[in-house]
Amino acid sequence: MNSMILLARKEGGELLMSGRGLGWLLALSAILSVFGLLLVSNTELSLLDNAQVVYDMAGLVTALGALLAVVMGADAVAGERERGTLVPLMLTPMPRNRILLGKVGGQLIAWSVMYLLALPYLWAVGSTGQNLADAMLVVALLGTPVVLAFGFLAMGLGARFAGVRGTLLTSLIVLLLSASPLLLGPSLRQSVIGKVFDAVNPFSGAMNAYDAVIIDSQALSAQALHIGAILAWLGLMLWFASSSFRRAAQ
Amino acid sequence: MLIDIQSLRLQIDGTPVLRDVNLSVDKGEIYGLLGPNGAGKSTTIAVALGLRQSDAGSVRVLGVDPRVDSEAVHAQTGVLPEQGGFYDWMTARDYLDFFARLYGKEYDAAALSVRLEQVGLDPALTRAIGAYSRGMKQRLGLARALLPEPRLLILDEPTNGLDPRGRREIHDLLIDLSANRNVGILLCTHLLDDVDRLCHRIGILVEGQTVAQGAIAELLRAGNQPSRFRLRLTGPPSAEVPGVVRVVAQEGEWWVVDIEPGVLPDAAWRQLLFSGWPVTEIHRAGGGLEDLYLTLSERRAA
Repeated sequence: MNSMILLARKEGGELLMSGRGLGWLLALSAILSVFGLLLVSNTELSLLDNAQVVYDMAGLVTALGALLAVVMGADAVAGERERGTLVPLMLTPMPRNRILLGKVGGQLIAWSVMYLLALPYLWAVGSTGQNLADAMLVVALLGTPVVLAFGFLAMGLGARFAGVRGTLLTSLIVLLLSASPLLLGPSLRQSVIGKVFDAVNPFSGAMNAYDAVIIDSQALSAQALHIGAILAWLGLMLWFASSSFRRAAQ
Repeated sequence: MLIDIQSLRLQIDGTPVLRDVNLSVDKGEIYGLLGPNGAGKSTTIAVALGLRQSDAGSVRVLGVDPRVDSEAVHAQTGVLPEQGGFYDWMTARDYLDFFARLYGKEYDAAALSVRLEQVGLDPALTRAIGAYSRGMKQRLGLARALLPEPRLLILDEPTNGLDPRGRREIHDLLIDLSANRNVGILLCTHLLDDVDRLCHRIGILVEGQTVAQGAIAELLRAGNQPSRFRLRLTGPPSAEVPGVVRVVAQEGEWWVVDIEPGVLPDAAWRQLLFSGWPVTEIHRAGGGLEDLYLTLSERRAA
């Protein structure tokens, strides 16, 4: 078996088969259940239309995925270094880039499980609308690079910082900053700074694309700008993680 | 030459950590790397394995520069780092299987059992590594280091946490690897008994500098270090043996003697027995490697 896939399976398995992973999945189910119930009741009361509800659920799933990637990414490098398990890995003949990709593969496995777990919830809140299939597709296509980008960010920081705590804290601050345009009011988002900030960060890119595809029923192919921003961010984070991990000292 | 390090220098955050390290390990040789805490032993190993970049000096491991092609070095080198690094949730068998595959090796269940038995672990063990004792983890780490069927072994305190029987078993394994399979071993340890028993040559590192390197007997001879022993005799010695031992004291049936510098202990005991000394027990009482080590490290620190 390819050593990268082997490592990805180990990384994914470590999370999903452990008690910690089980706890994460239970917490995820609880959050999605509560949020789903809230959205469905609002739809019943005609306070939200069906597309808006699906959009909200898609955003929540992506945000939780990014959070999962940050935690896993911080643990994959900084955590393993603290526990002394990184050195034996780095002493195998695997090139460092392949170790990095193997580790992000583990995050991809965890994100896939999370995505599959979220599908019934998406269906539950959006089965009566028209854009459910598009929502599922756009979360898979755009949510995945966003999640992986945050995973790379946390791994890159983990390679540069001494410990998990600093890595996790910094990664979470970046994640919150990325999500902050969503918290700005419409007028602030329309200001020059708001627009620039909105355009360059991946989380906004994904949410704006979700908005266009799920609520406005636009084609995914028309979201080139958002997709470009997300992929540029992914490339930048891959480069950051790769250069940091290559230089990571014992 | 499996490891050849010349005039190695390295600064970390502006502080010189390695000032002038010289080290060489040949095929089938067990080389002991000694030095006080913080002397630069682990950093030297990290440079040799390509985990750190040096500022100056030449480093060749298995014929290649680890700075350029560390993967080639890793493929033929087994390493037991200071911090073992185990996945506590795995079983020993799964752990070895995982690392074997990372080394590109496929071992079936029987082969994995043999590898566990080789280091004294029960292959039938099914509990997770997290429940292992320190000594069991040490054995597992050694099994991991042997997975790539290495030409070179780098072991940091391999007998830490082992009981006397376990220690003896690991000694025998290392002697077998070096003598019969021509594996070169770089042994980093503070246990001078291990060094005395196992090592063909040693290097002493103090404040990032190699202050001595060579065979133990040669270093003792060069350092004019007398070796002090306590001998139990069933009666008084029949004759003096000048040039071999010098009697320092007598305490009941115990006689304290210094072996003259340049005389190997084995040769001294032979001479004494031929001269009719009724020796029944021999214990080291100072001098030798421990004193040489202390003298060299103190001299440098002063």
